[in-house]
Amino acid sequence: MKGYRKYFLNKLVWLFVTAVFAFLLNFILPRLMPGDPVAAITARIAQGMSNSTGMKETYEQYQRSFGLDKPMLTQFALYIKNVFSGNFGTSFSQFPRPVSDILSSSIWWTICLQFPAIIIGWLIGNTLGALAAYLKKGFDKVIMPISIFVSNFPAFGMAVILMVIFGVKLRWFPTSGGYGFDLIPDFSWKFIWSVIVHYQLPFWSIVIIAIGGQAIGMRSMSIYELNADYVKYSRFMGIKDNKIVGYVFRNAMLPQITGLALSIGTMVGGALIAEIVFSYPGLGYTLLNAVMGQDYPLISAVTLIITLMVLIANFAIEMIYGLIDPRIKAAQSD
Amino acid sequence: MKNTLNQVFHSGKFVVGFCIFMALLAMVIFYPLFVPDDPLESIGKGTFFPPGTYVNIYDSINATTKYSINLDDATEKRIASKLTEENKKDMKTWLIMDGIPADQIDTSDISSLLKLWENEYSKSKTLGMTYAKQRYYQRLNASVQGLLSKEGLTVMQVDDSTGETNEIATIQQTDYVNVKQVANVRWFPLGTDNFGRDILTELVTAAGVSLQIGLVAGLIATFIGLTLGLISGYVGGWVDDVIMFITNLFTVIPSMVLLILISYSIGQDKRGAFTIATVIGLTSWVWTTRAVRSQVISLRNRDHVNLSKLSGHSTFNIIFSDILPYIMSYVIMALILQISSGILAEASLSILGLGPRTTDVPTLGLMMNWAMIYQAHVLGKWWAYLPVLVTIALITFSMNLMNTGLDQVFNPALRD
Amino acid sequence: MKRTMLVLSVLLVLSMLLSACGNTATTAPVATTEAAAATEAVVTEAPAATEVMAGDTVLPRNETLYFNGQQWGAVVCWNPYSSNCNNAMAIAQQDNARVTMFETPYIYNMMDGKVYPLLADGPYTWNDAKTELTFKINAAAHWSDGTPVTAEDVAYTWATHVKYNDSTGAANKDYIEDIVAADASTVVIKAKLGEDGKALNPLLVQAYVSSNYVNQKAWTQTLEARANGDAAAFLADTAEDVVYSGPYHKFFADDTKVVLIRDDNYWGADASMWGKLPAPKYLAHIIYKDNAAGTTALQAGEVDVSQQFNSNVQDLWLKDNLPISTYLSEAPYGIGASLPTAFFNMGSYGLDNVVIRKAIAIAVDYDTIIANAMTNQSATFTQVPRSLMNPTPGEQALFDHDAVKDLQWAGNDIEGANAMLDEAGIKDTDGDGWREYNGKKLTYVATCPNGWSDWQAAIEVVAAAGAKIGIDITTNYPEWSVYQTVVTNWPLPETGYDIFMMWSDGAGPTQPWSRIRHLISGEFAKTTNNWNGNWGGYSNPEADALIKAIPTMTDEAALKDAYTKLVKIYLTDVPSFTLMYRPQAFHTVNESVWTNFPHEGDGTDPAVPPLDLTDGYSIAGLYNLTLVNP
Repeated sequence: MKGYRKYFLNKLVWLFVTAVFAFLLNFILPRLMPGDPVAAITARIAQGMSNSTGMKETYEQYQRSFGLDKPMLTQFALYIKNVFSGNFGTSFSQFPRPVSDILSSSIWWTICLQFPAIIIGWLIGNTLGALAAYLKKGFDKVIMPISIFVSNFPAFGMAVILMVIFGVKLRWFPTSGGYGFDLIPDFSWKFIWSVIVHYQLPFWSIVIIAIGGQAIGMRSMSIYELNADYVKYSRFMGIKDNKIVGYVFRNAMLPQITGLALSIGTMVGGALIAEIVFSYPGLGYTLLNAVMGQDYPLISAVTLIITLMVLIANFAIEMIYGLIDPRIKAAQSD
Repeated sequence: MKNTLNQVFHSGKFVVGFCIFMALLAMVIFYPLFVPDDPLESIGKGTFFPPGTYVNIYDSINATTKYSINLDDATEKRIASKLTEENKKDMKTWLIMDGIPADQIDTSDISSLLKLWENEYSKSKTLGMTYAKQRYYQRLNASVQGLLSKEGLTVMQVDDSTGETNEIATIQQTDYVNVKQVANVRWFPLGTDNFGRDILTELVTAAGVSLQIGLVAGLIATFIGLTLGLISGYVGGWVDDVIMFITNLFTVIPSMVLLILISYSIGQDKRGAFTIATVIGLTSWVWTTRAVRSQVISLRNRDHVNLSKLSGHSTFNIIFSDILPYIMSYVIMALILQISSGILAEASLSILGLGPRTTDVPTLGLMMNWAMIYQAHVLGKWWAYLPVLVTIALITFSMNLMNTGLDQVFNPALRD
Repeated sequence: MKRTMLVLSVLLVLSMLLSACGNTATTAPVATTEAAAATEAVVTEAPAATEVMAGDTVLPRNETLYFNGQQWGAVVCWNPYSSNCNNAMAIAQQDNARVTMFETPYIYNMMDGKVYPLLADGPYTWNDAKTELTFKINAAAHWSDGTPVTAEDVAYTWATHVKYNDSTGAANKDYIEDIVAADASTVVIKAKLGEDGKALNPLLVQAYVSSNYVNQKAWTQTLEARANGDAAAFLADTAEDVVYSGPYHKFFADDTKVVLIRDDNYWGADASMWGKLPAPKYLAHIIYKDNAAGTTALQAGEVDVSQQFNSNVQDLWLKDNLPISTYLSEAPYGIGASLPTAFFNMGSYGLDNVVIRKAIAIAVDYDTIIANAMTNQSATFTQVPRSLMNPTPGEQALFDHDAVKDLQWAGNDIEGANAMLDEAGIKDTDGDGWREYNGKKLTYVATCPNGWSDWQAAIEVVAAAGAKIGIDITTNYPEWSVYQTVVTNWPLPETGYDIFMMWSDGAGPTQPWSRIRHLISGEFAKTTNNWNGNWGGYSNPEADALIKAIPTMTDEAALKDAYTKLVKIYLTDVPSFTLMYRPQAFHTVNESVWTNFPHEGDGTDPAVPPLDLTDGYSIAGLYNLTLVNP
């Protein structure tokens, strides 16, 4: 386990350093955008005013309350202090709503949409890819071109087409919303069923593309493995195919797991298109609006969450990798 | 090399992908030569004209030769176009609401139905209907006026100087013109978009621009990825760690978010097609770097490399002549994938409204964007967005087919 | 060892899968906490208002009226003093004030230009010197907590506006001296007087009573105590406990919808007011992400009243045969009330020359703008020749049409523009295809905010006109947040904002004077933080004198003369030009559940305006609704 500890520590250190830099970037990036968010808020408040002196006062008032009149370093220090106490600040574009409130209402929808979509897409895709590699011939010839086509179909295209066919034309599924338009959220079965029904189209628009991508990847890896020497040797030795296949797919799965970690990182961004097309409540759309409204606190908070999620997912995957792949341990003594 | 090319062109998948791609490229290059119209010109005064042939009515009235043709079913078709089965049923419903007994109404006898309608219908009879329904019947009534008449039409012209109206032509119900003799006939194979632009012309130009953007983005991304991957893979040590660290940073901040932020910051006035391509290229080099690096790592301990090291060749020399050729096949495949993902990235940005300027060049993403803003997909104007989607899908599909074909050539294990 | 590793990894994947499945089921309880969280959204600790009534978790379709196009994004607060609540269903203090939850003393009817009493009892009266405006409060009017509405409430509301200098206070304190309660039910508004002893601006004083809410004094004091005298906290309070006088109040609000519920104790059911309760029990607004989602819902019958710009709205009933209609059955489908305008930057090179400005203005193809950008939801300039007035008969009657006929143009006059420019000596001297002015090539940028699609389409047409007359006009679409910051501060940048688009006033009791003032009055020219108008920096002393004089004029003939002079000045100097006519609010209805919406010739008297049944006198529409299938 000694070499393993070194591996573990190495990864942890890099995780930490990356986190710090990411933190910094999260703070700086939104503030580099041109335009003045305080002017935007003043504009909204000033609609209907006939004179401009009141406006100037309002403008300066808001600048002070957001701390935008202080130097960058002070703002950064304040930012760090606040984040660690769980206070993400007040949103500019939805003033005076606090950022944590905005996040808590939308983040669950995004995660519940994306997470199962990624996992299920991954599972089904890999199974299909593995089967295609193993069964070859007919099954493979059908699955392969379909997967290629589907995996590179643009996400918005898939969303629009699904909506037009199943929502507008056939009316099998609702075309917008997270739950029924006439329902108030509560614990009843009617509500839960409504959520599930509204969930289908956005979910499948993401999953289908994910399946395509995973299937291709898994198929290539599986073919590599199936043609490896140890497989041929085991076959000659008379070991049953079922047993061999277990090992083969375990080896083939390794790079796919790395891919899974990457997918989790794109989770929030990937749902953006689906959220817009289906009017699904979620973080992606909040982020887009925040960018358009130059809402520094909101942007920083969302990107911070994404960053942390990716880092943790990456770290977890690398830990699992270390456990599953004995070559890692061996490489540590290299 | 020749042998490789030979094999490549024998691979079924590659050939199919290559043909599709070449067909698209040919369309992009040759179509503007035959149809020199400006793709951004608003021809239609109105939005979303459906695909079809548009005949100028003024010219057909004034055509030099009128032909008189007697077709049996002409009258029937004329009536059916104004009075569908649905309309007849609705008339019957209205008449029943008005109090006429159902057995007196025969929807198959059009003239008696229309006579009954003319007698009974009045705009003021609301009969407890919703306003929308009332308006529907008003429109129906207006459209069936004079439906059964066998008279022709008279065309009058207002004399500018005297203000009188003079008859200049009569049109009989049996008059036809030969479309070839009409001065102005325009064929819109894909209709027009919300700006009144011809979609086919716009689509061809947009495909060309998107391909260019994809090419530039792909080249930039592959170049950066290749360089960084080679250096970090071969040199190793702390250089490797630093480059991997930077790569991780870029992974951690999702490229979509980065793209949105950068694109927004650049601002509309500087967002030309080339700038967008560069921005996309600069944010998508990550996985190429990783892939190249892992390939190089497995290569650097090979015998020929060790031999070169022992011979005292410089690092640059070794990378260039000993490692690069072995990963070329991989790099080409990566380039193709980068191009196709660059095209997709541009389309996604444009859909969000952060793409290149609308007035300069049309791109596939921008066409999708405007179609969605003007709600083409909801209003059933499929010609505004479906051809664009199919084009994007074809481009990416053909590139990926080529990629898969190449993959099979370079990795014989993957061949069927 | 290896086996345990495999088992572990499989278990891990399985657990991820299970948690994923679990997540879907937990959406429900999380959603309830969301709802609770929304009601408790706090900047200050305010007690939660009406809880979601148990058992009423499905809104009955035939008791609910659904809206779209008003509310974009989540509701932030319920505070009538704040202009930042993003609460479209309940709060909009404007010429046609939204009186669903909070009420104004009078409501304006854009169809006949008159105001009708709501909280007030009978019409208001000016004293002889026209320095004081008096009205009485309806004896039946009472607040949601049962206490009656008194004149003291009106007076205290005004005092609060002034004290905290909110938008209402800042906008009106230069024209209103004070508002006092003469007795429990009589309100006197004292206008600010000029040196001549006359009211500075009686028009704006009159407008106050139909644009601004009356808030309860007792509740305002509670709010003040909570905010502890801090103006920012006062204005930012979420006000969940607000006391209102209107027929509806908050039932539920989260990120996906807002629902108002009827108060069956609403005072307006009294015979002196409406005599009954409004028909729908719930007013609901689903928050859609974009126009397309809203239109799909409208088509599906999930929306009854739509304030969205639905392009090609007529296809919905002509082609799809849906029971959807607009106020007018033919183009322009709605009543034009405001004039989106393209302003010239007077500081740009060459644009200080009136010939160049006019040439560009007459060359633009307005018919294409109206057909393509507005999909015919605007009157053309042939039907309603351009002026400073909107197409409503009331405003059109205010000026002498014949006197300005020669100055008006219908657009797409390429020949005329070219002739004009040639005559003035502005020709293409170096043969590059573009005209030069005093040796320098004429090149401009036409701009509007990015994402405002109908405006963008219109600006494209403006730019296309430039090419036809030899002036190089290109387009640019900055983000709205950048655009507004630039446009509202003089001087405008050297390039990028030569021809820019902004809105104008719509229909209201002070129109068309207010619109004219905002378009061309010198008091706003070349100022910073300017949210009023005249962003191009135009100044004409003759126009300014007329604008200053009109509010105190009473003689109709003199008024007509003044307005005609202003139109003449506007069409001669061309500091800006109207691009299209736009309705005050878009109004499209779906009659699958409710019927008897306002439409042309519906026989209502006074005519109910098509303002989505919530603004100004349009609220009367809510009392006329009936069910299609009762």
